[in-house]
Amino acid sequence: MGAELLDARPALALLVSATGAGLIMLIGYRARLRAWLAVGAAVLKFVIVWSMLPGVLAGQVYGLTLFEVLPGLALELRVDALGLFFALVSSTLWIPATIYALAYMRGRQGQRRFFSFFALCVATTVGIAFAENLLTLFVFYELLTVCTYPLVIHEGGLAARRAGRRYLIYTLSGGALILTGMVVVQHLAGTLSLSGTGILDSIDNHAALLAIFVLLVAGFGVKAAIMPLHSWLPAAMVAPVPVSALLHAVAVVKAGVFGLMRVVYNVFGVEHMRVLGFAGYLGLLAGFTILAASVIALRQHNLKRLLAWSTISQLSYIVLAISLLTPAATLAGIIHLANQAFAKITMFFAAGAIQRATGKTRIDELDGIGRQLPAVMASFTVAGLSFIGVPLLAGFITKWYLSLGALQAGSGGYMVVLALSGLLNAAYWLPILYRAWFKPPAGVAAAGNTSPLAGSAALSPMMLVPLLICAAYVLLLGVGAEAPAMPFVLAEAAVRLVFGLPGPAP
Amino acid sequence: MALLALAAIGVPLAGAVLMIGPGRHSRRAAAAIVVVATAVTAGLCLLLAAHAGAAPPAGLTLIQLVPPMPIALRVDAMGALFALTVALLGVLATLHALVWLREDRRYWQYHAVLLLCMGLMLLVAFAANLITLLVGYELFSLAAFVLIVHQRSPKAFAAGFKYLAYILPASALTLIGTVLLVFHFGSIEFMPGGVLDRAIPPAAYVAWICLVLGFGVKAALFPLHGWVPDAHPAAPAPFSAVLSGVMVATGSFAMLRVLFELFGPAALGQMGVMPWLGTAAGVGVILAGVLALGEDDLKRRLAWSTISQMGYVLLAASLLDTQALAGALAHLANHAFIKGGLFFCAGAFIFSAGVHKVSELGGLAWRMPLTAVVLTVLSLALIGVPPLSGFVGKWMMGGAMAADGALLPLSVLLLGSLLAALYLWPVLAAIWSPAEDNAAVEPPARGGGDPPRLMCLALAGSALFSLLFGLAAVVTGYPLGLAVRAAAVLTGGATP
Repeated sequence: MGAELLDARPALALLVSATGAGLIMLIGYRARLRAWLAVGAAVLKFVIVWSMLPGVLAGQVYGLTLFEVLPGLALELRVDALGLFFALVSSTLWIPATIYALAYMRGRQGQRRFFSFFALCVATTVGIAFAENLLTLFVFYELLTVCTYPLVIHEGGLAARRAGRRYLIYTLSGGALILTGMVVVQHLAGTLSLSGTGILDSIDNHAALLAIFVLLVAGFGVKAAIMPLHSWLPAAMVAPVPVSALLHAVAVVKAGVFGLMRVVYNVFGVEHMRVLGFAGYLGLLAGFTILAASVIALRQHNLKRLLAWSTISQLSYIVLAISLLTPAATLAGIIHLANQAFAKITMFFAAGAIQRATGKTRIDELDGIGRQLPAVMASFTVAGLSFIGVPLLAGFITKWYLSLGALQAGSGGYMVVLALSGLLNAAYWLPILYRAWFKPPAGVAAAGNTSPLAGSAALSPMMLVPLLICAAYVLLLGVGAEAPAMPFVLAEAAVRLVFGLPGPAP
Repeated sequence: MALLALAAIGVPLAGAVLMIGPGRHSRRAAAAIVVVATAVTAGLCLLLAAHAGAAPPAGLTLIQLVPPMPIALRVDAMGALFALTVALLGVLATLHALVWLREDRRYWQYHAVLLLCMGLMLLVAFAANLITLLVGYELFSLAAFVLIVHQRSPKAFAAGFKYLAYILPASALTLIGTVLLVFHFGSIEFMPGGVLDRAIPPAAYVAWICLVLGFGVKAALFPLHGWVPDAHPAAPAPFSAVLSGVMVATGSFAMLRVLFELFGPAALGQMGVMPWLGTAAGVGVILAGVLALGEDDLKRRLAWSTISQMGYVLLAASLLDTQALAGALAHLANHAFIKGGLFFCAGAFIFSAGVHKVSELGGLAWRMPLTAVVLTVLSLALIGVPPLSGFVGKWMMGGAMAADGALLPLSVLLLGSLLAALYLWPVLAAIWSPAEDNAAVEPPARGGGDPPRLMCLALAGSALFSLLFGLAAVVTGYPLGLAVRAAAVLTGGATP
């Protein structure tokens, strides 16, 4: 392990977004200025986060203490491979998400508020990623909840407020559980640090350990949408599309699974976890969620709701990967953070583009949409095939390592779960692709006056380009394991840290 | 060598990409692209086949797909044999398709997807490890759907969905089998003699079942053949030819690769699992032959025949005998041109006379003499009449079975040939029947004569190949020479 360096960049990354948010709130009255502020902050943060990649790959760890809350309890940032991976994913995705949001929200109410909170969310996400201890993690985790709430209810109206209330109740209860668990950990271990591989090794109070595990897993499990803690997620679909993208791909649910990773890898540590044997139950729950959410997804008629259920299923891939406690599974879980994020954000962007261009939101209205919006549907197709697990796309990589990880853990049965899940994914994505590409557009026979290109023309390139970039990334993640700047290497480094394996020669 | 293989894979893929650009707007451009791409590919594959097996196969690693498993290519006799078959049939099918699709709106799309499928099949042929093979295999399985439903009719979609319903679970099984092999064998790089160097783990049986079932779906192995008789009539005739000729064979090819070069003949013999495969294949040979008897739709009848004929390959392979395997591989290649040609004929009848059914073929020979002659030659070849190509493989397989004293497989082989004679006889009888029987048939759709020249060329080509590979099997070196060499390597009798 490399030396720990004092470095301001972790805090800078955080501040850039926060400052961006503040400036948008204060002076972002004009659309053009607002756009520049939002995109500028995104790009700047992207650069800062990526600039830490070479160092971290070489084994460097960057740390910075913000301030001490109480003696021994500090808000402290620390950049290790796992945290940087999460930060990279979210800060990379934030750029296309912001550009897309600028186009999508054009002409709507409350844009200043929207973009301000949008930027704050990503700032807090970076805080979560770079948190050195549970307390810091918890603080940013709660801030994230608070910052997303105005976005969820952005559209106004009864449904939005109801969804927002449910979101708050679920996530704040989760937060309360985490807080309780954290207090117990502090009491027993005397530290909340996440820099090692386990702080509870010396404790042999089985009941207390189980309590900590249940509290922390249930707490983070709310945002990770493990069944039965999932129901806020489909409800939150009333939010505008960029917010859904934020919830599903960039920040919120990812914060949940990332928290779980920290609990299992850094609070307990894989070795200790394996001895305790709690993770097996988590794996069962995840396996159940993978299948059950997919079965429910089969019966959805609204495209966005289908995407929500698919997210629940996909997140549990990561949860399952965490619970298996083997190197290949861990690798699968970490890279699925990115794989799921890029594929799912592609789908949300596509759903939003379809809605913007044609006003269609139901799956059975999508007949022939591929002919109207070829680029949009091509991207959607790439993402869909990735979820099914077609080789050369991102999803296949996850499936491969997760299957291998299940075998390593001696639970080969999960391979069957994955296979079934792949088939279920085919059963709900392929009908959409069939409608889009193979069915004649509805209403063409009835009203011949609609030009087939009317839809594409209405789409701003600011929506189309982010969509295409994300779809390209799904492909890149599927084939580019060796590319030097790809997160894959970073994920491998993270796995080595988690398992205490020797690194490759730098 | 491996670079040449990369080029052979790349040319059709590049053609498919080009098709989206210029090919989309002009039929002429599309036709030019597809003809050039298939011809160049065939030339490259000829070169590869001429040199394959002379030296130890050189590998070429492209990228790390799932580290430490790379995408890697390798040229050996078996791969070259299969690649050349794909490429040559691809040329013929393209000629046929140029006529068949003359008035089709989705002209460029058909050719683009076909080129894509060809490139991916060549990737399967030249794959150096199982993960590379899987990439090509899964992708072309999906792409084939587009061609099966090309006609966009409800019937075509029904067949396409059925195809997917078979293929998707199969690919799930294949993946499970692959991961099991990676974990328990440690390597999935194809090696003559297999990669297993220790005691057989119990999971090897599970992996065997997963992989045989997974590849068996595409290989039309009984009882997984259900999609075959529906997909063939639904697809455009030139694609039916490719489907029966090489796509089904890709399943058999992949299965043979995995069985002989990952498990290895020694381990398979020890596991004692191959008789199960042989039994399933043998039942398929007989059952499909019987079902073909009662089928009036010509393309469906031919599809049943494919199931029956491809059963031979796996039946012979299950004996783990060098000569039987050589016969099986030769049959795999010869069958491609025979069955492809028969589908070309079926397509010609539909195209020129609008006739789909065996019962409506009466007397067509007097109006379409060339087609009828080709049909006759190919039928005889399929039955296994010497000196046509179908005889070669069957003779070798039968000889090996007789030498091993495997009388049951031998009788299945003979019975299958008898059935082939029985289900093809009515076709020949009808077509050569005197012309006045034909009064009931409505006036022909397009003049009713032999089809246009390019289509005739495809027909004549397939007949010529099946004559050539029978008469001059030893002289040309393809397919028999390659098959013998490949079988020797696979069963460990010779070093590559």
